[in-house]
Amino acid sequence: MSAGTRALSLPTRLISAFSGTVGLVIKIVLLSLVNAFAIWAAVVLSDHHKWRALGLLAFVTAAIDAIYLTRRWTLPLKFLIPGTIFLLAFQVIPVAYTINVAFTNYSTGHILSRSEAIANIEQNSLTEAGNGASYAMTLMRSDKHQLVLALLDNSGHAFIGTPDGLRPIPRDQVTIAGGTIASAQGYTPLKGTELGSIDTELSSYKVPVGGGKAIEPQGFDSAVVLEPTYRFDARKDAFVRVKDGVLFKDNGRGSFVAANGAEIEPGWKTYVGMRNFGRIIHSPLIRSPFLKVFLWTMVFATSVVFLSFALGLLLAITLNKPGLSFQRTYRALLIIPYAVPAFLALLVWQGLLNDDFGVVNRAFHTSIPWLFDPNWARVSVILVSVWLTVPYFFLVSLGALQSIPSELIEAAEVDGGGAWQVFRKITLPLLLVAVAPLMIASFAFNFNNFNNIYLLTGGGPALNNSPVAGATDILISYTYKIAFAAGKGQDYGLASAIAILIFITVGTISAISFSRTKALENLA
Amino acid sequence: MSTAERQAELALPSVAERRRKKRSGFADNWWRHLVALIGVVIALFPVAYIVSAAFNGDNSLSGSSLIPRQLTLDNFRSLFGTQRHTTGHATFQNAHYLSWFGNSMIVAGGTALLTVLLSALAAYAFSRFRFRGRRMGMLTLLLIQMFPQLLAVVAIYLIVLNTGDVFRFIGLNTLPALIIVYLGGAMGVNTWLMKGFFDTIPSELDESARVDGATPAQVFWGVVLPLAAPVLAVIALISFISTLNEFVIASVILETQQKFTLPVGLWQFIDQKYSEHWGPFAAGVLIAAIPAALLFAFLQRYIVEGLTQGAVKG
Repeated sequence: MSAGTRALSLPTRLISAFSGTVGLVIKIVLLSLVNAFAIWAAVVLSDHHKWRALGLLAFVTAAIDAIYLTRRWTLPLKFLIPGTIFLLAFQVIPVAYTINVAFTNYSTGHILSRSEAIANIEQNSLTEAGNGASYAMTLMRSDKHQLVLALLDNSGHAFIGTPDGLRPIPRDQVTIAGGTIASAQGYTPLKGTELGSIDTELSSYKVPVGGGKAIEPQGFDSAVVLEPTYRFDARKDAFVRVKDGVLFKDNGRGSFVAANGAEIEPGWKTYVGMRNFGRIIHSPLIRSPFLKVFLWTMVFATSVVFLSFALGLLLAITLNKPGLSFQRTYRALLIIPYAVPAFLALLVWQGLLNDDFGVVNRAFHTSIPWLFDPNWARVSVILVSVWLTVPYFFLVSLGALQSIPSELIEAAEVDGGGAWQVFRKITLPLLLVAVAPLMIASFAFNFNNFNNIYLLTGGGPALNNSPVAGATDILISYTYKIAFAAGKGQDYGLASAIAILIFITVGTISAISFSRTKALENLA
Repeated sequence: MSTAERQAELALPSVAERRRKKRSGFADNWWRHLVALIGVVIALFPVAYIVSAAFNGDNSLSGSSLIPRQLTLDNFRSLFGTQRHTTGHATFQNAHYLSWFGNSMIVAGGTALLTVLLSALAAYAFSRFRFRGRRMGMLTLLLIQMFPQLLAVVAIYLIVLNTGDVFRFIGLNTLPALIIVYLGGAMGVNTWLMKGFFDTIPSELDESARVDGATPAQVFWGVVLPLAAPVLAVIALISFISTLNEFVIASVILETQQKFTLPVGLWQFIDQKYSEHWGPFAAGVLIAAIPAALLFAFLQRYIVEGLTQGAVKG
């Protein structure tokens, strides 16, 4: 315990610094700051009428106060709470949300709630009425500064249109000039400069005239009557196409669909059960790229781990020779790829592998399309990942080699074992005991190594039979593209379902890995 | 960074512990030197190229070579803006490299420090207290950590978006928002690693301090943390580097050039103006690599010393 006693001298001094009043003061100050912040946040939240968030804030703050002011039984919580708050907010809740989304059809065209979608369809289905009724329009402001439309129909009747409806006005209250209303009592016509500032207001301006019809401005000086092509029938809970009475029914998957399969856009977000998982299995458009990507993910992760381990071990064996000159220098230089942040190395490799100007092609006088041919791109991605991973396995193997008792090796050599035999029968098995769990962990890591793919090839080059998956896409980059690829339609539901599959795969691999280590035994 | 890589960092001391024996002759070892040299050449080839390109007068990709044709600092100048005498943002009109660098340091540094604090607190509870739900708590941490935070990015985006409506300073396009999002992953593997280390600190040390009247908080700050300094440094470095590398969440939360971190900024920089900006890009890579490389070099020594000294062995 002599070392322990020496180690105590500094801590005991620190303890006295933190003891009694000082520690209490620090605690009170921190707790007051938390409460002061909470009160400020509560005021802001109530200003924004965020009542649920306010309730949550009050609960969390009260819980924190209770935990830190209670003396005994909350002791572990005092240490666990700070990290747990962040864990809940940015890990648990997002994961729960993602799992929830996996059972919905949340995607482009299915973003809105059902009632929003119905309102949206009613709005979008307005088209110019068959009888072609139109008005000459003058933009005016009322006494209350509200924007109104002064409308004159073909037979010379004058109206004032507002978002509340259409109201006729007697002829003697208006003056008509050049086929439009020049002035109206109680209203001020808009002048040129003012017109420029109302563009956005005007573009969504509608005057409802009953029966789902509406008058809408066309430019600055005319307006037309629009009527809906679809009408929502609340009793049947379905849309009716006005011209032929065809019924579009709720198909239970977030869309209104006719008997012949025609669908009205947009749909809405709703629960669809296991459908996203079913699509991965049944839909040929998804199954084929998914299987290709899954296979490639396995090939990628496996080959990166095994190649890196093999090369790392080779280097470790090479350098594991007592008294080898420059040993330290070699080691320091060999782990440099590990010390450079990976994103930088990946971006640099992207440049080095450029097929026209890249250094690699110029050095070897080749013109290999490293990143633009599907197969070469796969080779490149593996090679660069190996370049990044070898130093790690080199360090691990070197450490493991040096922990093997030299007596074992010597005894085997005395017994007449050749170098290869000793390596196969003694060194490698002992080495694998230490390194195998790390290889599994490395596999799990590379299985989800988004950066290595995305920063090097972007998942490309594109495969001609799939709009989303590229030749080098692994599951996680494929999923990212399904969720975020602009212009190709975003499918959060499907992406989340695949995310869950990835989670299960990686979880299983890690569970196997952990069951073989002693990490869990320390928990007793 | 994976568990495996973290463990590698901790495995370093055994490398240093080896004994030096009599140096063997070059004749027996020529193949070792050959293999090692080939390895070194492959490992250093891209590094050498970037260093050369950063100082090369010809700043295009096609004009780059292993040995610069003419040495110049022009690439660094154009990276930081050509008109060096103007002040304010006008200086960085070509790229916002300095902002990206600063942002990355703030985000990675802040995340690393807070990650160490949060995971050390949790690890202390798991290591020293026996309470109901302890085993479940640790297993849950491990399980949650296996769900890639990257895939929950839609939800994270929506949370930050809605928070930002009320509290601007932690809304979209702010660095504090990015830091607190990263702190969601602060526990998990880090807590596991630290708990493992705390378990090796003999509990007699705590107990004798407790007998002297120290509270658990005092034991934590005064006894356990100072003794755990090496593992704290390792976790800080790992957290720093993995935060520095993070691309997806940063690219979703940060929206304007001034707020980008290095991966987002450099990725856009090279994506848009690839071949003609190779020189400035190389200069940028060189500078960006310095903090992590320095920390790495520093850590190696620190860990070796920290673990081989007697203090933590009891």
